[in-house]
Amino acid sequence: MQNDQSPSQLLKQGLWQENPVFRHTLGICSTLAVTNLVVNTLVMSAGIIFTLSMSCVTVSLLRHITPMRTRMMAQTLIISSYVIVFDILIQAYLPDISEALGPYVGLIITNCIIMGRCEAFARENPVFPSLLDGFAVGIGFSLVLLAIAVVRELLGFGTLLGFTVMPDGFTPWTIMVMAPGAFFTLGIYVWLVRSFSMQFDKK
Amino acid sequence: MEAVVIMKSRFYSVLYMFLLTFIFTAVVTVAKIANQDRILNNQHAKLQRVIFKVLHVPLRADMQADELQELFKERIRVSEVEGRTVYTAFAPIGETVIGHATSLNGPGFWGPIYAMVGVDAGGTRITGIEFYKQQETPGLGARISEQWFTDQFVGLSLDRAQEDKAFFSFTYPGRGKVSGELDAVTGATFTSKAVEKFLNRELVFLRKLADNNDGTMKNAE
Repeated sequence: MQNDQSPSQLLKQGLWQENPVFRHTLGICSTLAVTNLVVNTLVMSAGIIFTLSMSCVTVSLLRHITPMRTRMMAQTLIISSYVIVFDILIQAYLPDISEALGPYVGLIITNCIIMGRCEAFARENPVFPSLLDGFAVGIGFSLVLLAIAVVRELLGFGTLLGFTVMPDGFTPWTIMVMAPGAFFTLGIYVWLVRSFSMQFDKK
Repeated sequence: MEAVVIMKSRFYSVLYMFLLTFIFTAVVTVAKIANQDRILNNQHAKLQRVIFKVLHVPLRADMQADELQELFKERIRVSEVEGRTVYTAFAPIGETVIGHATSLNGPGFWGPIYAMVGVDAGGTRITGIEFYKQQETPGLGARISEQWFTDQFVGLSLDRAQEDKAFFSFTYPGRGKVSGELDAVTGATFTSKAVEKFLNRELVFLRKLADNNDGTMKNAE
């Protein structure tokens, strides 16, 4: 499927029409795991945007010489290399956050969004559109993570980015900190987005 | 002919994967080597901060890794007691021991919990505790790292009436307390129980540090 869309269409598609979480409900593992604090989510998002963009670029660069049969092995190798490099960088420069994210950085490797974009787009398209596609989908994913993280941190801890914002008498909703809180928040978001876009599409 | 083409394409696939693996492994290795020192320094600095904290050695807020290292050499002597690493702190001047610290660990809810525990020179009272490595649930079990929780341990006596009696136990927060009763983390029963269990088992070791006053027990045997 050769792409003939303009850059702005690609961006829009990644952010909205093919948003990985709302539309495909992909990448749920990290959606649930890292979204109880906004700071962690920001770093995780940076990791995903970096890995996704770079993997798409690399897969696209190698698209003419990669044998069909081993392409998935090659993609996994490419993706995991970028993730490990990102992991090394945050261990070196952001040790506290690296510790907070623990194993979840490494688990970006098995985030199906990344291989999904490599398979569905980058391996059949030139470098620049692939970069844009990876970047847009990465941003789309990150915005959803952030939207969930803001709600969870606000209700679960009463803070935003570590600053107390809720009034003094506020009782934290402990469940928002745990995995079920992410399910509830995600469910409500998907519901809102779907019903909103259905109305939008009718017009 | 066809067989030759198939063989060729198979050989190509293998060669391609071989080269690709070689290149990417090289990239990862270079990134690792380039950052290794920094990562190690981060880990050392973190551990040193924790040790200084539980032994109440004052630090400036803006201390860099190399300054920490310097102070660590000056004030702390590392020795080994029964196979465990013990950090003995000395007063700024002279050879007076102000306390010992060692790392204790045990299973938590999600993974092992590591606690750095400081004890006074006589091995009788806890001077500080830091849960410096743990993967408990953020907002619940992970709150064992918070100051209000760790502060409860400061001054805890390691003298027990009987050998098999616990050093401390957790109860519901806000209840009247007798000595040795500390507040558990609300909503994190498992983590609290795990901490109670492994610390009560491991704290016995700290009593033995009373004799480790020159920090040279490593060579005692």
